[in-house]
Amino acid sequence: MSTDTDQQAREQLIDLAAQFYDQFELGEIPHMSLPTRTKNNIEYDDDEKVWVYGDRESTRSANSVRGARKLLKAVYTIEFLADQLEQDRSSTLRELYYLSESWDNKEAQFNDQDESNGLVEDLEIVSGVTREDFHMRPEESGATIMGPLHLREQTRRGEREIHCQEDVGEGGYQIPNNPDTIEFLDCDADFILAVETGGMRDRLVENGFDEEYNALIVHLKGQPARATRRITRRLHDELGLPVTVFTDGDPWSYRIYGSVAYGSIKSAHLSQYLATPDAQFIGIQPADIVEYDLPSDPLSDSDVNALESELSDPRFQTDYWEEQIELQLEIGKKSEQQALASRGLDFVTDTYLPERLDAMGVI
Amino acid sequence: MTSFQSTLGEEPGIAEELAENQQAISIAEFFEKNKHMLGFDSGARGLVTAVKEAVDNALDAAEEAGILPDIYVEIQEAGDYYTLIVEDNGPGLTKESLPKVFGKLLYGSRFHVREQNRGQQGIGISAAVLYSQLTSGKPAKITSRTQGEHEAQYFELIVDTDENEPEISVERTTSWDRPHGTRIELEMEANMRARNQLHDYIKHTAVVNPHARLELREPEAHFKFERATDQLPEETEEIRPHPHGVELGTVLKMLAATDSHSVSGFLQEEFTRVGKKTSESIIDAFRDRHYGREMRWRPPAATEDIDLRTVVAEATANKGQDATSAFADAIADGVDERDRIAHHELLAVVADAAEDAEAEHGTTFGETVRENAVEAVWLALVDVAEDDEDRESADSRLVDEIYALADEATSTRKDDAVVYAFAERLAGTFADVTEADVRHRLTQTALREAVDRAADLTEEYDDVAFGDTARENVVETIWDVMATVPDEPPLVRELSDDRDAASDLVDAMRETDIMAPPTRCLSPISADLIEAGLRKEFDADFYASSSRDAEVHGGDPFVVEAGIAYGGDLEAEGTVDVLRFANRVPLVYQRGACATTDVVKSIGWRNYGLDQPGGSGLPNGPAVVMVHVASTNVPFTSESKDAVANVPEMEDEIELAIREAARELKSFLNKRRSMQKRRKKQNVLGKILPEMATKVAEVTGRDEPDIDDAIARIMNNVLVEREVEANGDAKAVSVVVENNSSTSEHLEITDIVTAEPTALPDDVTVVEMDGEWFVKWDPEVGSGDEATLEYEVATDASFDLSVKGVETEKLTVKQ
Repeated sequence: MSTDTDQQAREQLIDLAAQFYDQFELGEIPHMSLPTRTKNNIEYDDDEKVWVYGDRESTRSANSVRGARKLLKAVYTIEFLADQLEQDRSSTLRELYYLSESWDNKEAQFNDQDESNGLVEDLEIVSGVTREDFHMRPEESGATIMGPLHLREQTRRGEREIHCQEDVGEGGYQIPNNPDTIEFLDCDADFILAVETGGMRDRLVENGFDEEYNALIVHLKGQPARATRRITRRLHDELGLPVTVFTDGDPWSYRIYGSVAYGSIKSAHLSQYLATPDAQFIGIQPADIVEYDLPSDPLSDSDVNALESELSDPRFQTDYWEEQIELQLEIGKKSEQQALASRGLDFVTDTYLPERLDAMGVI
Repeated sequence: MTSFQSTLGEEPGIAEELAENQQAISIAEFFEKNKHMLGFDSGARGLVTAVKEAVDNALDAAEEAGILPDIYVEIQEAGDYYTLIVEDNGPGLTKESLPKVFGKLLYGSRFHVREQNRGQQGIGISAAVLYSQLTSGKPAKITSRTQGEHEAQYFELIVDTDENEPEISVERTTSWDRPHGTRIELEMEANMRARNQLHDYIKHTAVVNPHARLELREPEAHFKFERATDQLPEETEEIRPHPHGVELGTVLKMLAATDSHSVSGFLQEEFTRVGKKTSESIIDAFRDRHYGREMRWRPPAATEDIDLRTVVAEATANKGQDATSAFADAIADGVDERDRIAHHELLAVVADAAEDAEAEHGTTFGETVRENAVEAVWLALVDVAEDDEDRESADSRLVDEIYALADEATSTRKDDAVVYAFAERLAGTFADVTEADVRHRLTQTALREAVDRAADLTEEYDDVAFGDTARENVVETIWDVMATVPDEPPLVRELSDDRDAASDLVDAMRETDIMAPPTRCLSPISADLIEAGLRKEFDADFYASSSRDAEVHGGDPFVVEAGIAYGGDLEAEGTVDVLRFANRVPLVYQRGACATTDVVKSIGWRNYGLDQPGGSGLPNGPAVVMVHVASTNVPFTSESKDAVANVPEMEDEIELAIREAARELKSFLNKRRSMQKRRKKQNVLGKILPEMATKVAEVTGRDEPDIDDAIARIMNNVLVEREVEANGDAKAVSVVVENNSSTSEHLEITDIVTAEPTALPDDVTVVEMDGEWFVKWDPEVGSGDEATLEYEVATDASFDLSVKGVETEKLTVKQ
């Protein structure tokens, strides 16, 4: 943890406060401009091959009571973060929310955690400093890795060298909040298999899939945390490992793949840093539901809406996804990863994954 | 079976026997038994009504004499009875008239007069006397003194109900401290349960009579309402009835009574707003109604096989060839000249031709010759040629013309054949009429019947719809083509005996456009004084008033005025108060039966910013709605004059008057709401922004920034800012107005300076007072614009800016 980065981050925050100060002095209405964070304002960055924010901006301005409250909260948060950096402490997003209760000014307190989370994201974007550099952590730390990887992690209690198969239990290696403190030492893995659900991850580990196929099994735990996405990106960039994503076969899971591969809408300002554009989708594909005759549930109304909204999401506007989504709308079914168990517990490791990975040219 | 009829037959004396029991009853006796009709149905109410009648009388009396009214009302408790005393400073009553005014019902000077007065029938005060004598058995005690008399007259009297005449028990002179006026003392069985209504009555009377001084003393309260103005209401004048509002019976009575002989004279003499022109319009309308119009036919076209010259020549015998052909030519040309011609027009054409021919050729064209010519030409025009029996009706001129008119009147979608068939049938009517009345004279009703018959037949035989609209259009088109006849209207004496003709005249009067009646017979309060009255009695935030132009109902002009007071100390809970007035008299009872209340309920008050549960009924909120109806004859629902009857014309005007005032209320409330919102926003931002500024200063380690400009901008406010700069020894002062609002603002800025300002621009005035200079500047600053006033002062000075013309919520002043 370099104090230089901290110092820089702190200066960026104070500059932001100074900007408000100057606006007051000039008789202007205090405001800050942010890119609009909706799917209508993300565009593909050809160089980086990720989706980033477009040119549309929205302004937080003290013109309205709501806007003024937001800015007041922003200034209080800036003060808190600057102090935190100065004292080399860190806190979680949730702690920030509760901490605001202790602020002397009622107007500055957050109404809910979404508000404080959103505000931290705002500050990331405006200051160009990542949340991690503000020393802000999410509650649930990153997920786990299991596979033939040897690494060194800088912890507050000194450096630790860990092998992610030999030095860990069944649970695997816990990804720290800031994966940039990790140094990769050695890797025997051939590819990365990112898995959505814990059940499936445990199944793969139990069946020894990581050993058999030299796979790094990354547990996504639903919508992946930033740390998970960041380490995936680094493993891909630094070790040249192909990345595959294995999720349920429903619209929400496609979004999990989307955020691994293309970046999420909420953190599109960090896409270059978090997204792995080369990540490939294994399944469950709508085509698999048909091909393997998997047990399925009918699509609910909200599933259909989600699928339709994905059709208009620029990130999914590829031939592959359009075909798959339209197929799913046609068959009106969705299946979970665990549905593969209907063919036996080993079906997934013996048949499904090898067939899919082979078809994708990974093995 | 025994029938009742046969029993009656057996006892021939019964009708006579019954008749013996029938006798006339006096009006006084009638009201003795029907006290409620006059508002004396209970002790509580009786007292209020008695006060009301006495005060109304007193106000009328004083105003008529041009005296500013000063009225004293006292109510004393006397065991189970109450004594009511009302004193006024009116002109007093003569010894002769006094007993009748108080002791005879229906005695008064106003019943036959079209002029706005509080009292109308001459019932009120004598009914109070009657009520008092019925309940207490005591006579009324009346004192009156006319101007200049040394002594006052004192009477004690009761109403003799059998005869409806006053019965005087005491009559003497007395001394009285008022120089002129009347005092009445009545003792009656009563109670003060209606105390609120009594107070309301007095208070509301004060609202609409700002020129009167009123005092009320009752056992538990004592009020005085001083005058708000010394201006008496304008004196009213009597007017004649307006033609739009009289009924047949009235007209018949007027016809019998008038001195005029002709209808035209009658109309001009007896009615208001009728001059020569209007009376002609009325008489024309009367002719159309009474005589009908004559159908006008087209003269024959060149293509038609009708030569009028030959027709005339054939009908004219023994007049010499030249004269005959000149006569024939003149008639043919006269007819041809016209677009269409009616029978009476043809008569005129023939008469002219005959006279011209006589003058030129010396031959006499007598009555018979003229008649023959007219008949021949007319029959040719209406197509009844004598020796042309085998002609097909399909070729008839009448059918062709009716067809042309019907085709024009009906929609293009109607089948031509159908219209033609209809035209044939309608033309048949005219052909039939020819035998009865060759002139083709039809009233509109007869025409409509004919059209209906033809249309019904067409529907029946041709199996097509011939709807009401089509029929109406045909009637209208044909009626427009027809000509009003020149017949002289009957004389007045003939009319007065002819109910039907008189009814036609009444209809004609109603139909003709006539200017609204003059309003000098009315004495509206005026919008300004309504507002002043409301201000005097209600402490509110907002007042609005309206006064409509005069309208007519039943020949009586009326004016409706409305006022609204809102907010302030008015009761916010429950429904709004509706104050009703008629001819400056507050209406206290029967609120629910009054047209005024109905109208207030029917208005959608939510539109005007008042809460109205369910969207109808009386609105809620801190408001008073007042309505004043002034008329020469206010239509009350009963003799007690508590409620205005539901007369549509009047309801419309009441609604318009209320809406007019309510619109002002709406804009006031809207503005107030937006100011409230602005104030709320200002309050919140006024707290947040300084805190934000403090925090920003803390974080950046700088001094606190100045945030007034930013706040002014955020609030879309008008910012007035003064800067003083040293300019050598002197100081340069600039006052900058920055308008951040969305509308253009006109400001009145006064800068009070303790040193003499110099180098001022031209549009600024300076006044010096006691070593202080008042710099007055009235800039008009557009939305988003700035204006600057610059001047200099020689030495150090202190300044004080005051800004007007902008609501405080919208203004930020920095100095």
